[in-house]
Amino acid sequence: MSQIPIPEDRHFRPRLLGYDPQKSRPWLERTVYSAYVFVFWLIVIGTYAGVPALFGALGWDSGWGFVLMRALQVVLLFLLSAVIALLLILLLRKYLGKVQERYGPMHYGPAGGIQTVFDALKLLAKEDFVPAAADVLTFRLAPAITFVASFAMFAVVPFASGWVLADTNVGLIYLIAVSTLSAYGVLLGGVSSGNKWALIGALRAGAQMVSYEIPLALVFLTVAVWSGTLSLGGIVDAQLGLWNFLPLALPFVLYVIASLAELKHIPFDFPEAESELIAGYNVEYSGMSFAFFFLAEFVELFLLPALIVVFFFGGWHGPLFGLEPGSLAAGALESLYFTAKTAVWVWIFLWIRATLPRYRDDQLMEFAWKAMIPLALFGLVLAAYLRLIWR
Amino acid sequence: MSTMSLEPVPGRSDEMIVNMGPQHPATHGVLRVVLGLEGERITRAVPHIGYLHRNHEKIEEARSYPQVIAYTDRMDYVSGTQNELPFVLAVEDMLGIEVPDRAKKIRTMFFELYRLASHLVWMGTAMLDLGAISPFLYTFWDREIILGIVEKTAGARMLPNYYTFGGVRRDVHPDFFKDVADFLDHMERRMVDYEHLVLESPVVHARTIGVGVLSKERAIARGVSGPVLRASGVAYDVRKAFPYDAYPDVEFEIPTSPDGDTYARFWVRFQEMYQSIRILRQLVELTPKTGPYKGKAPARIKPPAGERYRAVENSRGELGVLVVSDGTDKPYRVKHRGAAFSNLQIVPDLFVGAKFSDAIAILASLDPVFGEIDR
Repeated sequence: MSQIPIPEDRHFRPRLLGYDPQKSRPWLERTVYSAYVFVFWLIVIGTYAGVPALFGALGWDSGWGFVLMRALQVVLLFLLSAVIALLLILLLRKYLGKVQERYGPMHYGPAGGIQTVFDALKLLAKEDFVPAAADVLTFRLAPAITFVASFAMFAVVPFASGWVLADTNVGLIYLIAVSTLSAYGVLLGGVSSGNKWALIGALRAGAQMVSYEIPLALVFLTVAVWSGTLSLGGIVDAQLGLWNFLPLALPFVLYVIASLAELKHIPFDFPEAESELIAGYNVEYSGMSFAFFFLAEFVELFLLPALIVVFFFGGWHGPLFGLEPGSLAAGALESLYFTAKTAVWVWIFLWIRATLPRYRDDQLMEFAWKAMIPLALFGLVLAAYLRLIWR
Repeated sequence: MSTMSLEPVPGRSDEMIVNMGPQHPATHGVLRVVLGLEGERITRAVPHIGYLHRNHEKIEEARSYPQVIAYTDRMDYVSGTQNELPFVLAVEDMLGIEVPDRAKKIRTMFFELYRLASHLVWMGTAMLDLGAISPFLYTFWDREIILGIVEKTAGARMLPNYYTFGGVRRDVHPDFFKDVADFLDHMERRMVDYEHLVLESPVVHARTIGVGVLSKERAIARGVSGPVLRASGVAYDVRKAFPYDAYPDVEFEIPTSPDGDTYARFWVRFQEMYQSIRILRQLVELTPKTGPYKGKAPARIKPPAGERYRAVENSRGELGVLVVSDGTDKPYRVKHRGAAFSNLQIVPDLFVGAKFSDAIAILASLDPVFGEIDR
């Protein structure tokens, strides 16, 4: 048999030729991320400083004017959550790409920066399909419950000193209540889909919820005992000298683990484990119903790291360079510190997602009941004791 | 008749009957398993195959002997030339064709390259089934290099149709030995990363140790072979038991584990990759750089009437073929003994009583390829 010559240049030899990081244009990527963060920052400043200043100047800061002001702030925060989702989806895809020696989105916009906008448009244009076997009302309601529950957490998260919608003295209790609601959305969505995979996903979500909610609540309680307040602003103020992650190291680690479970994030993504349950609780959702589950997930991916920062890393605290506390410039700088600290934790969560396999759901339950709850109780007692003798 | 093939037990409302596959992300193609689930625990499991059936063996009866080689490639499509070898060996035996030493070594090199490629695919997909997405991408990059090396010589990547009666179809590319040596250097570095990502990961330990234990007796009774059998403590390897091609000339070991669980099957495949690298290292040195690549074979392949069974150790176990000749230029009957097909027989045994998530890990550790199972 004769030799057929094969042209040399057909041979694609990855890695020996090499994945070329320059080709992904890191400077352009950073510019795109910065643009998103800048928009994010502008909206934060507008929400917490611009709108109150405007209404104050108009003299509408009481009665119905106050209600209108709050409504406008909520609309701006909805816009903010959309920006967060767009940025985090882009970051997730780009970061997974980097970890996996590929480029991620490259074509639409600079360094693939507008890809997520097109993704969102695609979801908008898709048919919102309701399966015949579904319970229509519950099926429709579930994504709304999930999203509203995640979105409602914004109300008590302080972006800078005084930059919070409701600086109530029951902030922590409110958080526990609202974050539990988001699991109900997942549960109801899975059960009402009329699909067995979705049902298993929903059951797993329920089992997961009872596992991590208790240690999470115990950690909240520990933070409250240590800071002497239930208000999130108060908790940040109490960390002025020493950030909580040092004295509360054990509750801090437990909180990070429980956050991963609450986020339904690898290694605890049992309700949607795509290689087991295909897509889990959201398998029957499409179009905007699915988009709301998705939006809720990414809002939580921002808010749970933000809460880590509030509870353990001094919230908005950072050097003010002589700016007068309470001024617009100081608030803007503080909100930037807050965002930067949160970004580090978002990155750690993405890193975990890119690296780890998935545990089995009963292993999380076993871990939660046999290890996390006793440890959280121990951390609570220890924090109470330390506070008694130290402060 | 119910399409689910599992009827609900009267009076048991706590059992849910779920249809896993044939379009399920973790069934490696088109396996369909009807599961009875009691919460997360599997009470009954009935596997179904045949969704990829192509009438393979019947088609081979209607093709001449050289044409059949191209068909065998399509069985276990992730391990390329490994499928061709049993058929080629059987026909060579029947015709008494002498294979030059260099051709034997080249064949063995391709055989082991494809074992690495196949185990890389297994590692990526198994980790994907366990929920880790990144190893999949890493292993496919490395497999890409192997396929590039094969393409340079054979002209095709997955289905190379490279072996022929008496040797190989064409001489290796001038860069072949250097490419393989470079790749082995690269692969040895990568194996360190893979150990960290797979064998040393505490999450993998939690998911696999003690899960899906297959006893030695049960493994032998069900006729499993390859890494699945060796993970249950049976040191049976066709390469040692009935050596073929260049295997008598190289040194290697048969890794076995007494545990028989999913982790043992992971571990055995890992050690096999090290052994493949070792075999390839020796062959890069041993194989003459020039020389004959094909022995003398008749122009028309017409084996005398009779039959011959030959088996090789492919990535999944004993891949055998029974060739029956009636003296014409077409085989009277070709019967393949698929390793993945035999290994799949233990699915109901291992699934029943396991958790649903365990079933995914068990299936990943069996490494089924449906091109070969359904044929």
